Amino acid sequence: MAPAPEVVVVAVTDQKKTSQTLLALGAAALAIPGIVTKAEAAAPVAEAALDYKFSAYREADLDSDKLAGGSASRFEIDSHLFRYVSPLGSDMDVAVDFAFEKMSGASPWFVLPGNNGPVQVMSGASIEEERTDLQVSLNRFVGKQLTVSALAGLSTENDYDAVNVGASVDYEIPDSQRTLSAGFGYSDDSLEPTDGRLLPDRVDTAEKTSFNMYVAATQIINARTVLQGSLSYASHDGFLSDPYKKFWVVDQSNALMDSRPDQREPLSLEFKLRHFVPATDSALHFDYRYFEDDWDIASHTTEMAWYQNLANGWQLVPSFRYYTQTQAYFYAPYFLSERGDGYGSSDYRLSPYGAISFRLKLSKDWGPVAANLEWESYRASADYSLDKVDVENPALVDFDILTFGVHVKL
Amino acid sequence: MKRIATAALVISAAALLQACGITEVKPWERDYLARPEMAWSPDAQTASQRGHVYFSKEASNGGASAGGGGCGCN
Repeated sequence: MAPAPEVVVVAVTDQKKTSQTLLALGAAALAIPGIVTKAEAAAPVAEAALDYKFSAYREADLDSDKLAGGSASRFEIDSHLFRYVSPLGSDMDVAVDFAFEKMSGASPWFVLPGNNGPVQVMSGASIEEERTDLQVSLNRFVGKQLTVSALAGLSTENDYDAVNVGASVDYEIPDSQRTLSAGFGYSDDSLEPTDGRLLPDRVDTAEKTSFNMYVAATQIINARTVLQGSLSYASHDGFLSDPYKKFWVVDQSNALMDSRPDQREPLSLEFKLRHFVPATDSALHFDYRYFEDDWDIASHTTEMAWYQNLANGWQLVPSFRYYTQTQAYFYAPYFLSERGDGYGSSDYRLSPYGAISFRLKLSKDWGPVAANLEWESYRASADYSLDKVDVENPALVDFDILTFGVHVKL
Repeated sequence: MKRIATAALVISAAALLQACGITEVKPWERDYLARPEMAWSPDAQTASQRGHVYFSKEASNGGASAGGGGCGCN
C-alpha cells in the first residue's frame, strides 16, 4: 500500500498562552495543505493522533451469461487500517501506517470464445489470503522553506513480499507563492505463487523491481485557490505477468500462461486544483491525470469532490470519478493464433474500458474525537470507454466499499 | 506521437497557469487555504487505500508520490 508521502499538517493549534486571534492567524499562515503545507509550515504536526478504519470491499458476482466455468463469486476484502502521527522534537514528525487485510473469492482465469461474445472461466476454489503492510514516514523541517521526507515500508502476502523506500524534497521559493517538489520511490518485490511447484506451467518464484520519480510545482493562485502540476515517470523490471492467469489460443485449443514484456515504463501528468467557496463554506477538489506507457496503454482519470461543511462539526462529501483506458498491445479476449513475440494476456485490467465511481462520505467532529462513514460504488463497462470498444472483456469488475473510521487526538 | 501529445499537454498547462492571473496572498490571508478540507488528501488513510484498490483493478497507477508497496493483486 502506498501512503501519502507527506504528513499533512492540517491544523497547527496549541500554544496555550497565545491569544485566540494570534492563534488563528498563526494556524492560517502556517498550515497550507499538502506539499505546500510542508514548505510553508516548516513545522511538524502539533499533536499526536491515532486513526482506525475498517473497510468492507465487495466485488459483484460475475453475470451467469458471462461465466463459462468456475465460481461466480468474486473477491471480498476486509481491511483494518491503523495510522499514528506524532511530532518528534521541534523539527520532525513521524507517521506509521499499518494495514491488515483478509481476502477471499474466485479470480478470473482465462477467456473462451462464446456464442454471444467471449465468456470467462474463473478459478474454481475460493482463494483465501492475508496481507499485512507497514509504512513509516519521517518529515524533517529545515528552516521555513525546506522539507525533507523519507519513507520505508514492508508488505507481505501468502505468495508475495515487497520492500519499498522513498524520499522527497519540497522547497518554497521565497516570495513567490510557489513550491517545487521532487521525489523518488523504489520497490523490490518477490513472488512465490501458490501451487507454483505443483503446476508445470506456473512460475515457481519471480522477482520484480520498480523505480519511480516525480517533479511537482504548486502555485497559490489567490486566497481561495491552489493548483499543483506534476510529472512522474516509473520503470518496472522483472516478472510483470500474472501467474494466475492464462489466455486461450483458438488454433491450439489450449490456454497458455499470461505472458507480458519484462519491462514497463509509465509516464503520467497530473493536475490538482483546490478552491474554497466561502459563501457556502465548502471546498471544491478537481484532479486530472493523463497516463501512458510503452505497452500502448493510455488513460484519463478525472475526480471531483465537494467538501460541504455543515453545522455542529458535520461534513458531507459527495465525489465522482471517471476513468477510461486503452488496451495493452498484446491484449485480446482470446487469440486466434499465438503472437509472434510470444506475449499474450486476457486480463480485463489490460482491456479497453471505462469506469465510473460515486462516493459519499459523512463525518462528525466532536473535537478530541471524530468519526466518519464512507460508501463507494464502482462500475466498469466498455460502454463507459472514451474510445469505441469492439469486444468487451467479460470480467470487468463492479465493486462497493463501505468504510467506517475514527480519529482520536492523543 | 503520444509523447508529443504529452509534451503539448505540459506546455499548454504551463501557459494556462501563467494566464490564470496569480494574485498576491499574504501569509495572514491564507486561512481558507489552510483549512483541512483544502488539503490535497484530507484523509490520508482512505486516499492510500483507494489508490491501492485502483492500482490493483486498473492498468494505470502513479503520480507525485514517493510511496508504494507491491501486491499480488489477483
